[in-house]
Amino acid sequence: MNTNSNVYTVIYTAVIVVIVAALLAFVSSKLGPAQDANAKAETLRQMMAAARVKPTEDLYAAKNAEVLQLYADNIQEAYTIGLDGQKNGELSVSKDKIDLVSKLKPQHKAILAEGEVTLPVYVFKGNISVIPIYGAGLWGPVWGYIAIQPDCHTIAGAFFDHESETPGLGAKIKDEPWFREKFIGKTVEWGDTPAFRLEKNAEAGGATNAVDAITGATMTSKGLNEALNVWFKAYEKHFGTGALLHMLEEHAVETTPNAEEE
Amino acid sequence: MAQNLKETILNPILKGNPITVLVLGICSALAVTVQLKGALVMALSVIVVTGVSSLICSLLRNTIPNRVRIIVQLVVVAMMVILVDQILKAGEGTYAIDKQLSVYIGLIITNCIVMGRIEAFALGNKPIPSLLDGLANGVGYGLILVIVAFFRELLGSGTLFGLQVLPSGYIPNNLVILPPFALILLGCIIWVHRAIDKDLQEN
Amino acid sequence: MEYISLFVKSIFVDNMIFAYFLGMCSYLAVSKNVKTANGLGLAVIFVLLCTLPINWVLNTFVLQPGALKWLGPQFAEVDLSFLSFIVFIAVIAAFVQLVEMIVEKFLPSLYSSLGIYLPLIAVNCAILGGSLFMQQRDFTGIGEPLVYALGSGIGWYLAIVALAAIREKLGYSNVPKPLKGIGITFITVGLMGMAFMTFMGIQL
Repeated sequence: MNTNSNVYTVIYTAVIVVIVAALLAFVSSKLGPAQDANAKAETLRQMMAAARVKPTEDLYAAKNAEVLQLYADNIQEAYTIGLDGQKNGELSVSKDKIDLVSKLKPQHKAILAEGEVTLPVYVFKGNISVIPIYGAGLWGPVWGYIAIQPDCHTIAGAFFDHESETPGLGAKIKDEPWFREKFIGKTVEWGDTPAFRLEKNAEAGGATNAVDAITGATMTSKGLNEALNVWFKAYEKHFGTGALLHMLEEHAVETTPNAEEE
Repeated sequence: MAQNLKETILNPILKGNPITVLVLGICSALAVTVQLKGALVMALSVIVVTGVSSLICSLLRNTIPNRVRIIVQLVVVAMMVILVDQILKAGEGTYAIDKQLSVYIGLIITNCIVMGRIEAFALGNKPIPSLLDGLANGVGYGLILVIVAFFRELLGSGTLFGLQVLPSGYIPNNLVILPPFALILLGCIIWVHRAIDKDLQEN
Repeated sequence: MEYISLFVKSIFVDNMIFAYFLGMCSYLAVSKNVKTANGLGLAVIFVLLCTLPINWVLNTFVLQPGALKWLGPQFAEVDLSFLSFIVFIAVIAAFVQLVEMIVEKFLPSLYSSLGIYLPLIAVNCAILGGSLFMQQRDFTGIGEPLVYALGSGIGWYLAIVALAAIREKLGYSNVPKPLKGIGITFITVGLMGMAFMTFMGIQL
């Protein structure tokens, strides 16, 4: 057979492309759910690590299904807010259909442009609210989750992740537990500029809203500092001016109608 | 025949090592050598991709029209890479590693070793030797990757596979984990290799 | 301002060669003298500048999850991102082939100086890498991928011309025998990479 004729070439190419596309589509549809589950479980692990539902190592050792169960057991409610601090959407928290705002980059852009946003707030048991942060590190994006105590002021825990920071330097934000543990008990001064400081020698001044930057990872720390402040600013109206406190009180009234204060 | 097969397998690992001798496929590799675990997964992925793509192309070798040869090869290689990537993403244990390797898994497509072995070997040989040739080249490549990663993780973080190996008094050398050091280390590996095997020296 | 920052960053900080080792094969093979390095470098800039926006359009309107929404609401759930590697490489290969044919036919003088490098470029990781980074960083708007393509192309060009100049001079130096040729080249690239690391502190 003449393998160099035009007709043969065209048919051959078409057949190869169809076979390959069909095979890939099949594999992708088979593996897709598992991939999505991995991605979702990863986000949940990071949020729960920030809320200190369980120690981080335990969360990472847990299987996806256990992570989902743990989330469903510990979450109270999840909703989204706008830049005005008011609720503008609900996120489902039932175990079979967990809703997350997982794409943070578009939100980040919208915050900077002061446009329409749907910023997620995940309220865990004990009224601990977990919020995401996102920004640019040295090589790629850095992001994280900050858990805030019911007083809307004290940080209950934090977790940071990154896409491609230098291992051993910038990657310490994720790899070194002492770094995220430093955030516990610190405060966010809503309304101040900056609301939080992650800088060299920041702790020396004795301020409660400051953590020392990582030595040798100046650019990553700088990026993370900016990420924290941009996102804290966006959540300011929600936490700072009492919108949330008010909501929590209402919530308390709804769930405990016989509360004595009433 | 047995002699030939042995040659097919051993040559790419030592005398014809794709990285240190042929200087192919450095593109996607060095960036993943900061930690042994990533390097190992990358090495295994490349071994699978070179081996299976060589096998497929060798099976197709008499049917491929000459004019679209390169495209057909690219499609086969890309398909293999996508499969590897999808499987890594779907496994619960490998998901984190796939994220760490980020774009470099995709870049196996343009890894010159894969295409190079298909062009130079698989299109002119029977399937079984082609498979072995592909696998052996992948191993030769992976070997260098693992050596580089061993030194970078040991000196750069004081760990191996994430476990502390050097005494805690050791201060990790930050230069070692930065990209330029991978190149210098590779230069040194080539130096050692060529000092031992004088036939490989250039004039 | 964001564009300038992206531009400078992609030339110096995110340099394709020194930070990501992309396009190493042809970088080492074609950097023996400045003239050929110049030709390949320009070809890389050109191909990056053309394929990256094409791939961005494909990624945004066809491949990424929900990208097919413009076809109708029933397509909103379609996720073709598993095809992205194959589509990107096909676009690059087809584009390179096309350019080669056009240049050969209409600009024979350009073809004789640049044409021989074009086939090399189809399998240059810097080109595919550019597209993959574009996808990973989800650029918004056509401007960002364009600026990124130009910046990283120029970064690659700078790197190869600089190395070629050094290698021309290396010919006259007394290098230990086993290190001659490719060995010393690797170490040179490593040292150049260290120099480029100093740009990391730049922030615009």
